[in-house]
Amino acid sequence: MALTQPSLRPAVRMGLPIPNSKLAMWLFLGTEIMFFTAFIGTYLVLRLGSTDANGNLAWPSNPDVTHIRVWAGGLNTFVLILSSYFVVVAHEAMGQRNIPRARLFLALTFALACVFLGIKAYEYYGKFSHGILPGRVAETEEQSQRKVVRELEHAVEAAGLTAMQARVIALETEKASAADDAARQELAAEQERLNAQIAKLAPFEAEFRAIRDAVLAGTISTADLQHRVHELGEEYPALAGGVHYQEPILYGNIFASTYFLMTGFHALHVLVGMIIFGVVLAQGARLNAGWGEYVENAGLYWHFVDLVWIFLFPLIYIV
Amino acid sequence: MADAHTASHAPPAHGGGHTAHDAHGVNYLLVFIALCGLTLLSVIFDVVDMKGQRVLGVFNGTIVLAFLVLAVATAKALCVMAFFMHLKFERNWKYLLLAPTIILAMGLPLALLPDIGVHYYTTDTPQKSQVAGPRTVDAPEPVPAPGPEVVPHE
Repeated sequence: MALTQPSLRPAVRMGLPIPNSKLAMWLFLGTEIMFFTAFIGTYLVLRLGSTDANGNLAWPSNPDVTHIRVWAGGLNTFVLILSSYFVVVAHEAMGQRNIPRARLFLALTFALACVFLGIKAYEYYGKFSHGILPGRVAETEEQSQRKVVRELEHAVEAAGLTAMQARVIALETEKASAADDAARQELAAEQERLNAQIAKLAPFEAEFRAIRDAVLAGTISTADLQHRVHELGEEYPALAGGVHYQEPILYGNIFASTYFLMTGFHALHVLVGMIIFGVVLAQGARLNAGWGEYVENAGLYWHFVDLVWIFLFPLIYIV
Repeated sequence: MADAHTASHAPPAHGGGHTAHDAHGVNYLLVFIALCGLTLLSVIFDVVDMKGQRVLGVFNGTIVLAFLVLAVATAKALCVMAFFMHLKFERNWKYLLLAPTIILAMGLPLALLPDIGVHYYTTDTPQKSQVAGPRTVDAPEPVPAPGPEVVPHE
């Protein structure tokens, strides 16, 4: 009898007292915490383990060497914090059903994400132009010398000396089988022009070979190498003007690897955040209060992106 | 207090509609200003330039700097999590969800630390060999490595 009576107690609701989407976002952020902690933790451990022969920490931290600019990192921190604030304002506006205000602040957040990536692109350009790239940094004097040789070799290849020499040989055959004197004279003129160019470039190639042999034999000092490369650059500015001896950076490659890994994945997250905000903004006039939960979850994601940068800034730019 | 507060904040059912947000009484602008101030503090620590110095004649400047800027970063992170991410007003599920995550996240760094971060043995790396005794012009290495391929000499 009692079993047939309806219960007066409310039905038991399973799970956490938050929407499913919010729970899913927090679970996702949990995996993201592990993802970035792995990178940051590994960076710290590698940095602590990078010592010189005397056991002193030798991680590259001089801004003139690493081309890390505190002002750029600080500015990006400000940009992300401001964008986080704008997301909160947008979320609040959604709660108040003030859709135009929410849209405005979401658009501002999107714009700040663009600014962040712009500053990051400027920083990356600085690294690229100075050759601060994983696997490209010379860590010893010997590696620096060989790097110069490789750059000079590329300059020689770019001059097209081999192709010109091959063409001169081919022209000799073509001349022999030319149909008439006019064609033969034309080929001879081309041959003469090429020979003149080869003669002009020959000293450059000879000097390159001399430098290369000396570097490989280990019989040239760095000061002498710098002097000879400088002179080559002055004599052949179009070919070797951009070739310079770069001082070795101890642990420069692992520095570049960890720098690009951490900031690169963070930038990727910023890009994903822009897509998330782009979806809301694309609703245009259709945006309504029903999107409140979406904006809240987007905000949680964006705050997490901010959170990661809050730790990356001191670890990469200041310490 | 926080739980009671959130009770009204919670949606009526899973996947429920939008909830009230500004019931927390948080002045988000103040939080933003505090975050900016803390960022400025980090930059000031950088400008002071403690690296390689002795702070108060005793402490290693680099370690002091790392400690200070990470303390500031932690304070900023707590501000963002507590107010912007509303964790201050969420119920106890936040501990259930975040504690295992953070413990697991520490696993990899802690596993790497003994072998890479604070190893007791000496490693033989070309970088260290170079620092210990750079190659000199008078004493070239006996076997030069093969050089890059170049154009054949005519």
